[in-house]
Amino acid sequence: MRIDAISLVLRLTRIMLLLPAALTIGCGTVRNPALEHTRDLYRQARQDPLIVRYAGAALDRAGQTLDVADQLWTEEKDVIEVEHLAYIAEKRVEIARVTAQRRLAADEIRQSRSRRPETNDSRSK
Amino acid sequence: MIAIDDVARRIPRRQWARCSTWILAGTIALSGCSTSRPPTEILARADLGVRAARDARADELAPMNLTIAVEKLAKAKQAMAAKRYDDARRLAQSAQVDAELAEAKAEAEIVRRAADDVQRRVDALQTEAERESRKPLTTAPKQE
Repeated sequence: MRIDAISLVLRLTRIMLLLPAALTIGCGTVRNPALEHTRDLYRQARQDPLIVRYAGAALDRAGQTLDVADQLWTEEKDVIEVEHLAYIAEKRVEIARVTAQRRLAADEIRQSRSRRPETNDSRSK
Repeated sequence: MIAIDDVARRIPRRQWARCSTWILAGTIALSGCSTSRPPTEILARADLGVRAARDARADELAPMNLTIAVEKLAKAKQAMAAKRYDDARRLAQSAQVDAELAEAKAEAEIVRRAADDVQRRVDALQTEAERESRKPLTTAPKQE
């Protein structure tokens, strides 16, 4: 009787230990919505020539975080950590976009200032 | 209560070996989940990030992003005090990236305003220059 109970416990233990592995295999193609959303944002940013030109390094940082999140999702399906990394990557894409806007504005200032002497010259003539 | 030796004697040796393997596997799996250390450096970096954002006038130019960063940093400190180190690390990392975004937005806004200001001055100068360039054509004959 006791042995039956013990073997039942053993079976249950085995099922509990095998279940996560089975789920992992079964969910091999399951996608994480937060990760997919961030990947879309990253792709859009990669296609924007202004962001690539003015904030390439910032965009690379976003890409690196996205790669880590991708790997973690593929290997461990750690939802909390993956969604956390997806958030970080999303904010880094946004930082790249804003950095590009800032550098573009700084370029506009330089161009405007380089045009100013011409107007001064034309005035003096 | 049954002593462990008694149980071991009652279970067939093969089954006992399997049982030990599963117990060992379970112990390893569980021990892997509880090895986080206090994220002191990450928290300090987040703190610096929030300060840098404030220095860049984010409280005025990117208030929402800065508020999010400040709130997350406070929660990270609470989690740290409660020894929930994984939560503290994630919150501090989120706070840092939110602060970086707040700083970037504030800096971009400052440069954008400066660019608009320069453009306005250039436009004004050009308008004035055009006006000046037209003047001599009408006034020159009278002077002669």
